[in-house]
Amino acid sequence: MLQKDTNQSVIQVEGLGKTYPPDFTALKKINLTIKHGEIFALLGPNGAGKTTLISIICGITNPTSGRVLVKGKNIISDFRATRALIGLVPQELTTDAFETVWATVSFTRGLFGKKPNPAFIEKILKQLSLWDKKDNKIMTLSGGMKRRVLIAKALSHEPEILFLDEPTAGVDVELRKDMWALVRGLQETGVTIILTTHYIEEAEEMADRIGIINKGELILVEEKATLMQKLGKKQLSLELQKPLKQIPKALADFDLELADDGHCLIYTYDTTAKQTGITALLSKLGDADIKFKDLSTNKSSLEDIFVNLVKETT
Amino acid sequence: MNIEAVKSIYLFEMNRARRTLFQSIVSPVISTALYFIVFGSAIGSRITEVDGISYGSFIVPGLIMLSVLTQSIANASFGIYFPKFTGTIYEILSAPVSSFEIVLGYVGAAATKSLILGLIILATAHLFVPMHIAHPFWMMSFLVLTCITFSLFGFIIGIWADGFEKLQIIPLLIITPLVFLGGTFYSISMLPPVWQTVSMFNPVVYLVSGFRWSFFEMADVNVGLSLFMITFFLAACVALIWWIFKTGYEIKD
Repeated sequence: MLQKDTNQSVIQVEGLGKTYPPDFTALKKINLTIKHGEIFALLGPNGAGKTTLISIICGITNPTSGRVLVKGKNIISDFRATRALIGLVPQELTTDAFETVWATVSFTRGLFGKKPNPAFIEKILKQLSLWDKKDNKIMTLSGGMKRRVLIAKALSHEPEILFLDEPTAGVDVELRKDMWALVRGLQETGVTIILTTHYIEEAEEMADRIGIINKGELILVEEKATLMQKLGKKQLSLELQKPLKQIPKALADFDLELADDGHCLIYTYDTTAKQTGITALLSKLGDADIKFKDLSTNKSSLEDIFVNLVKETT
Repeated sequence: MNIEAVKSIYLFEMNRARRTLFQSIVSPVISTALYFIVFGSAIGSRITEVDGISYGSFIVPGLIMLSVLTQSIANASFGIYFPKFTGTIYEILSAPVSSFEIVLGYVGAAATKSLILGLIILATAHLFVPMHIAHPFWMMSFLVLTCITFSLFGFIIGIWADGFEKLQIIPLLIITPLVFLGGTFYSISMLPPVWQTVSMFNPVVYLVSGFRWSFFEMADVNVGLSLFMITFFLAACVALIWWIFKTGYEIKD
């Protein structure tokens, strides 16, 4: 088991840029530090630069500028040492269709310089519920099974850092939850995990820290809890006894909006503010003789935060 | 050096040949046997001798070269093109392997397959015509050098190709005509003087000539020149591959 030390940086990205000819800038001076043993979720819309960033760190794409250090070693001049530490599960289901599961997973282990270890391969295949498929050709497997094969390949050489590029894209809910459990298990053994995802709930569920990338720029990196607290807004919904046509002038100081044809009054407030203003609002509602049948509160999700941030930078 | 990686690539490619045994070995052997029947027995029976050697025996080195050249190119080009086509090249690029090790694995496997094929064809030839190899060492040297050189060339084609059509175009439109016009089935000295001169620009002439010399001690061109030409072509392929990996041409963005 690897020693977990979340203060120690395992990947340092410094001023990383990537431009594709003739003049498409995929990444603009990205600076990022990944801590040892954490789960880092990289969020961003399609074409934001997530896969390009991962591809550069893994050695698949050449950077135009900047540098990347993995455990203090440069990914270009010390590529052997750095790549040996990294496992990659790519976004696309790219597999050797005519190979068996066992052969392709063993091949990857050898490719990363590790001597054959059938017992370890067996353990991984069993963990990923692939053991009974070990002699099957990959072309005969379902999409979800192929995704598991890609994970098995990435784990076959016992990496310390695992990149998961959209790992649960196109897999069913059950398999997604299995993968989350697997990723958590890996984190417990000290593996650092960097995942990109479209599923905000995946990042919300699993990540320790979140980075948001848009148009090649890293617009935010934050602890998930802090991010949720800092940017999270809460809403108080009041189900009115009688519908309102418009918000009364007496309530103009509050961030209110009407919904459900005037049957619902929604108050948005900042959770980090000293006072939420709820008491004052309820008092003013009483003064204005506006009665309500029911009330509920809900907190904005990471998805709302993400959508707002991306909108702001667009 | 990442020996395990080289071993993995090499064995992976050799296993692919084992799975496609008919296509890799049986098919070229059958084709060659047909050449012996058509050129050696049917047509060859009307040609008495070439420089004192029976026509059936005379064409053996050329036929081996024909198969070895085309199969080296086909094996190596497909070996590297297929991961590009399926996208599995990502794991080769992200693995701790140097370009030299990648080439060693893929080209080594392709050259081995061609070498085995060449030796099988030689053994098959024994069934049809009497054979004597005057210089076994040089015969093996020419064969091994040709296998390596044309596997390297095939590797370059595989990297350059961005579709199956491109993968076939050079072997079909350039290599096959060069091999057929390179003295596979005849001696260059049998041609009119003008065509003899033109043939000297065909690199395959030097390979076939040198290889034939190792069998019968007769050659269209000087053996030293043959050896120099194949070494030169080998060096050119190595230089081109070095440039490909340095620049990431067609394999890395």
